[in-house]
Amino acid sequence: MSNAREFRSKPRLTPARALRITCRHVVLALLAIFWLIPIVWLVVTSFGIDKGPNLSTFFPKAYTLDHYRAILAPGGDSVNQFPRWFLNTFIIAVFTCLISTLFVLMVAYAMSCMRFKARKPLMNIAIILNLFPGFLSMIAVYFILKEIGLTNSLTGLVIVYSAGSGMGYLIAKGFFDTISKSLRESAYLEGANEFTVFWRIIIPLSKPIIVYTVINAFLAPWMDFVLASLMLNSGVSAQKTVALGLFSMVDKVNRNNYFAQFCAGGVIVSIPISILFVIMQKFYVEGITGGSVKG
Amino acid sequence: MTSNTSARKQPAIIRFFASIGAFFMGAVHAFAQGDVWVKLSALLWGVSCLARRQFVKGILLIAEQLLILWAFFGLLWPYLLKFGTLGTVEAEQIYDPVTRRNVWNNYDNSFLILLFSVLAIALAVAAVVLWLRNLRLAREVELRAKEGKHINSFREDLRDCLGVKFHRTLLALPTAGVLLFTVIPLLVMILIAFTNYDRNHLVPSRLFTWVGWQNVSSLVNLTASSSFAYAFRNVLVWTLVWAVLATFTCYIFGILMAMFINHRDTRGKKFWRVCFMVAMAVPQFVSLLLVRNFFADAGIVNTLCKNAGITDWLHSIGAIPTANYIPFLTHPAWARPMIILINIWVGVPYQMLIATGILLNIPTELIEAARIDGANAWQSFRSITMPYILFITGPSLVNSVVSNINNFNVIWLLSRDVYTTSDQLMANANANEVDLLVTWLYRLTQDQSNYKMASVIGILVFIVCAILTLVAFSNMIKGDKEESFQ
Repeated sequence: MSNAREFRSKPRLTPARALRITCRHVVLALLAIFWLIPIVWLVVTSFGIDKGPNLSTFFPKAYTLDHYRAILAPGGDSVNQFPRWFLNTFIIAVFTCLISTLFVLMVAYAMSCMRFKARKPLMNIAIILNLFPGFLSMIAVYFILKEIGLTNSLTGLVIVYSAGSGMGYLIAKGFFDTISKSLRESAYLEGANEFTVFWRIIIPLSKPIIVYTVINAFLAPWMDFVLASLMLNSGVSAQKTVALGLFSMVDKVNRNNYFAQFCAGGVIVSIPISILFVIMQKFYVEGITGGSVKG
Repeated sequence: MTSNTSARKQPAIIRFFASIGAFFMGAVHAFAQGDVWVKLSALLWGVSCLARRQFVKGILLIAEQLLILWAFFGLLWPYLLKFGTLGTVEAEQIYDPVTRRNVWNNYDNSFLILLFSVLAIALAVAAVVLWLRNLRLAREVELRAKEGKHINSFREDLRDCLGVKFHRTLLALPTAGVLLFTVIPLLVMILIAFTNYDRNHLVPSRLFTWVGWQNVSSLVNLTASSSFAYAFRNVLVWTLVWAVLATFTCYIFGILMAMFINHRDTRGKKFWRVCFMVAMAVPQFVSLLLVRNFFADAGIVNTLCKNAGITDWLHSIGAIPTANYIPFLTHPAWARPMIILINIWVGVPYQMLIATGILLNIPTELIEAARIDGANAWQSFRSITMPYILFITGPSLVNSVVSNINNFNVIWLLSRDVYTTSDQLMANANANEVDLLVTWLYRLTQDQSNYKMASVIGILVFIVCAILTLVAFSNMIKGDKEESFQ
């Protein structure tokens, strides 16, 4: 942001202006502290000596690594099965990610680059379906999966997360819309069919939106709590996903013994998720603003 | 563009039925004018293809027809027969003299009857459409044959699947997924709103049956004193208040924060941005569960406030009922504002990020020109920056309101096991003051097995969202400013 024009237009530093700049930074610092306090509390509690939530002071009296050891090697603990939860969620996330990315890109290409009679009606139907609370249809899906014995299984959750994912095509379509039509037309002239155009021209040009879609689909099972709690209701700890498992650590019964472990687990999952999140946001902003402004 | 075309066209509903009529009449004409093979293919779908030497296609069509007939009459028909009553034979154990054990009788499962009936009806509709379509196609191929034009071989049909008909290949699987796991389940849940499926009628041990509009009227009847009608009014109002407040607080604060950080006097822009993004990158279920313990009645904030004398002071001015703690998340007057504040904490960094991306793309010539014309900071913000941001993010605001109506996570994670209502009427309906319609729906199904009321609420959520979207879209079309910034 420090280009020549900006430098030129900067007014002189008078005392009044210096005061304003200081105030600005004090306000920012206060806001940043306000935003960071809970995160700091999460980290210090995870290293703190107390098992339950620390009720008397903000910082714990002594520090330890016990909670991290406990959460990473739980043995036969009936509540804490963190490594298992992590593995479960990872497996679900990988398959969900593959299926939904494929679905989203396929639908986005059909809706953006092809013209057929059912296009507008299908897009309208997708808008209407999105207005229903997603949880409503999932209640019936639960009963259906129960009939075929897929509740309390990873397969069931993969189906739940990825079956309807084709409806989330809008952002990818918006990106495809910005790719110049003449690129495709020259390919058709050279005898390429739609599949070649899709695979050889559009996909290689869509890196930002593919990264965004992949990470978004991968993160969904890590962030989701509702559908997981609906589908995995057996109460068996080893079957849970990370979100569900960590939630069970802070319910009424377990909170006083597992709160610090919950914090440790929260810190552990937050690190990879934040990294992915930051990457995704970069591509998201790139894809969105690149499309809507420069398009 | 929109106003031109919409003025020329008839209303969408008329066009919809007109196209169905045209489709149907086309098939009737095809049948009336076609030769004997076309007429025969009304009975057995592939006959006409076989006659035109499209052997693989013909055999596939016959197989498709047989499969549909078998699925409809072999699998689904017995269930469809019971659709009117949703089953009459209740499950019971009968003593079997041969094995000398109690065995379950051949009982009806109301839910399966409902599900398979919906499937059967959907299949029947699809079969009729396919049947009429095949008639038309058979007639088209007949005409081509008469005119001596080329008729596609199976190999060429396959090639089309990657060419001009690639959209079908692309959409087949995603559409099937949506159909099976969104549309059919939704239809089933909508029908359940008209049954008495609750915990007194749980399948498979009990039956449920149709009750008509009873559930709907017990929820929306404005004069009724039933606890559900009372709870619905309260929850609906709070849901709308929440959706609007949550959306606009995050939106406005996010933009202000982005402008504050991107101001030319701010040093270390990246550093400040990262500070706020840390809060966003921690998964919601971690940060919200944490914050909820942070503000618990016996939590750390309360201890600090007590030590600082804030709690006593608040009690002395009558803002809190007890002198022991501040009921941040346990008293309606405190919990509702707290939830909105916590949502600001969660949502503002995200909005800030998007606004930052937009601000960096703002055409600098516009602002520069305004400055030369003598505009001050506030004027250029009001007439350039704000309209520009609104232009880009405006449409997504409607989506944000709709998704906040369905924002399950924030409310649920903050109030589950923490908030209990003291209002007896709300408690009777299993609702509380901070519930959104969706969290109420969730509690009704997961804790109370009250599926009938849950599906009525789900339908009403849809209606609310649909009205909001329609109003917003019609306003947006009126004020179409697509080209003002290009």
